[in-house]
Amino acid sequence: MLEKDAYQQIKEKKTLQEVLQAAIAFEKTARDFYQSLLTKVSKPLRGLVLELAQEEQRHYELFTEMAQKQNLAEILQENILIPKMDHRFSDYIQTPKLSDFADDQAILQYALGREQAAMEQYRALAKETPESELKDLFLFLAIEEQAHKSELEKRYYTMVYT
Amino acid sequence: MSKIKLKVQQEAISHASKGSMLRPFKALAFLGRKPVTEALQARIAADIYRGFHLNDWDKCIGCSTCHTICDNAAIQMVYIPDLPSDLLAGKKPFRPAIDYGRCCWCGLCVDICPTGSLALSKEYIHTCTEDHIDSYFILPDPKGMHKQPFEKGWEKSDQTDLLLHHRQTMQQLPALERIQNFDEIVQGFTDQAAFEEASRCIQCGFCHDACPAQMHAPEYIRAIWEHNFEQAVTQIYRTNPFPNVCGRVCTHRCESACAMQVRGEAIAIRWLKRYAIDKVPHARVKALVSQSEISKPDNNLSVAIIGAGPAGLTAAFDLVQQGHKVKVFEAADKAGGMMRYGIPEYRLPADKLDEDIAIITSMGVEIVCNTIVGKDVSMEDIVTEYDAVLLATGLQQGRSSRIPGSNHKNVYSAIELLAKIKRQEDFIIPHKAVIIGGGNVAMDIARSLARLQQQYYANINIIVTTLETKDAMLADDSEKREALEEGIVLENSRGPLECMVCDDETLEGLKTVACLTVFDKEGRFHPQYDYTDEVIYSADMVVEAIGQNTVLAFLGDTITEQLEWQQGKIKVDNEGHTALEWLWSVGDMVKGSDVIHAIAKGHQVAKSIDTYLQNIKVFS
Repeated sequence: MLEKDAYQQIKEKKTLQEVLQAAIAFEKTARDFYQSLLTKVSKPLRGLVLELAQEEQRHYELFTEMAQKQNLAEILQENILIPKMDHRFSDYIQTPKLSDFADDQAILQYALGREQAAMEQYRALAKETPESELKDLFLFLAIEEQAHKSELEKRYYTMVYT
Repeated sequence: MSKIKLKVQQEAISHASKGSMLRPFKALAFLGRKPVTEALQARIAADIYRGFHLNDWDKCIGCSTCHTICDNAAIQMVYIPDLPSDLLAGKKPFRPAIDYGRCCWCGLCVDICPTGSLALSKEYIHTCTEDHIDSYFILPDPKGMHKQPFEKGWEKSDQTDLLLHHRQTMQQLPALERIQNFDEIVQGFTDQAAFEEASRCIQCGFCHDACPAQMHAPEYIRAIWEHNFEQAVTQIYRTNPFPNVCGRVCTHRCESACAMQVRGEAIAIRWLKRYAIDKVPHARVKALVSQSEISKPDNNLSVAIIGAGPAGLTAAFDLVQQGHKVKVFEAADKAGGMMRYGIPEYRLPADKLDEDIAIITSMGVEIVCNTIVGKDVSMEDIVTEYDAVLLATGLQQGRSSRIPGSNHKNVYSAIELLAKIKRQEDFIIPHKAVIIGGGNVAMDIARSLARLQQQYYANINIIVTTLETKDAMLADDSEKREALEEGIVLENSRGPLECMVCDDETLEGLKTVACLTVFDKEGRFHPQYDYTDEVIYSADMVVEAIGQNTVLAFLGDTITEQLEWQQGKIKVDNEGHTALEWLWSVGDMVKGSDVIHAIAKGHQVAKSIDTYLQNIKVFS
């Protein structure tokens, strides 16, 4: 998950390790954000916020583990070959203001908006980067964010439409 | 003479003797002799011969009708562990076994069989191996007995079938007439139609098993057939304090399980229930229900129920019969919850709901309306004053898709709009309305708006957009059919993208895209859209009839923190008991569904509360 100025921050990174470290930092920020939110929302909403924090933690651990791999380039190649379907649903969900966490739906809307933004920014970075291991890394990160977004969309649909 | 006898006795061989080793070879001496007996040639049986049974296990649903009808008690149902069991679909893992020591081959079992799985064969000779030598108790299968194939003899035919496969026609207002107003559409059975419909029932009891409240449908159908309507009402009230409501709007799971639907149409169980309650005067119903109550003295223990919907009132009905004082707090001006404010008048007239509620209050349940917990009465006061509290507030709010433009003033939630219509509150009737959603609520609001359009503009312009295909829509088939008859347009496989708003803030319509699939590979709700296939439906009102949620802010911070929560809902055990020993939760707010499920849960939670209160009494 990326913050608003993340695009520029990551764009300045030149190596796989640098980009991955930046991505790890962003996941940590997102996790900490949801963890801090836990103390602010009412108890019925905490389960959802906790799950979002845990998902960011999972990404944080995944990227941290990857950063330690010697064959990082190979792993990236394997992962970006798996196509993922983007349902684009969250393009049409309005992201609420950060302060407005009145209900479970708003929290999910916010999470969807963040994942959407992250996916788009990694995709844009991949597009701007010539064929290289760095491009593969951006593609990989975009796919990861997209997969997370897809899971959140399913939760959103189940919550709102059923 | 005595000499000869003596000789025979002397030559007699003991049964224990195996004789000489050469004895078998002596038999060879008979090989060349002409037989002194004649071979038995089986007589060729007629095509309709009533020999041993055949049963097609794939067709058989284990309904036991053959067992019930057999006057000789020759048929027993045998449990077969490997067979599928699905009570909601009317399938049980039992198959008939025949005792040929009792069977008289009358063939009634075949003639009554609702599935046509049973037949009789042309075989009448019972040969078997030593293992089965003493057995006349046979579990027939499609092949015959002991895996020996038998040719089919007597089987069901149109001439011999004892069953009527088509249900009686229900009189309904025609579309052109009913669209003019909110009059009840279904007119109810005539006496003759009800009698004939009741006579179709084979009393298998599948309806009872499939009903969430386990209603005694076979019993009340039989009572109707016997013209004993008071008995029918008494049977209905054993498990359901909302016969008028369920006789009209029940989702009738019972009919999905009915054995009669295998080869024809299910018994119209819902309409028969309605017939029975319509047939008995209200005052008489009141008297019958008060007679059947379980008389227990007032035990001075009290229960507060928050919400006067079907679950809360069912629990209240049960609890007063257990001798407890019950007070129901209702925020709206009248009791009934979604039954009153969510179901249109043309499906459930308010006076019929009033009759059901009047019976409940006549039993001693006190309902206080226009009382909002957290505003007119505090949760703390309730907790202090009552021994147990039941939350039964239901899902009061409609969800919004929150797509762009969905916060426009002319974008409504279906729940909100249906309540406005029921309360006859003012709002601007749309010239063109688009509904989002494909369930019964979507049909309810579409058909209600269509009636208002007809009254005000003499022109109906309602479009219902659904993610699902027409066949996969959640709305009942009858709802879809009647909506189409009334001039409502269904636009299936369309996903909402945006409520289009002009520069002057006027609502322009709903932008949609094609929905290719609704569920993903794992069966999870995740629609896939084709964004190149875009259609805008022009409208001056959009109504969202999607999910619903509940508001529980009245609980206050302390209780909210003390409770356990699961996916935003109060966590309860199977009996509706929360983490607080004095607090229960029930109905749509726990698990959304329909009226009959709410009634079933109401009974369950009442039992749990009663057990708790009895323990308090014993302890004190």
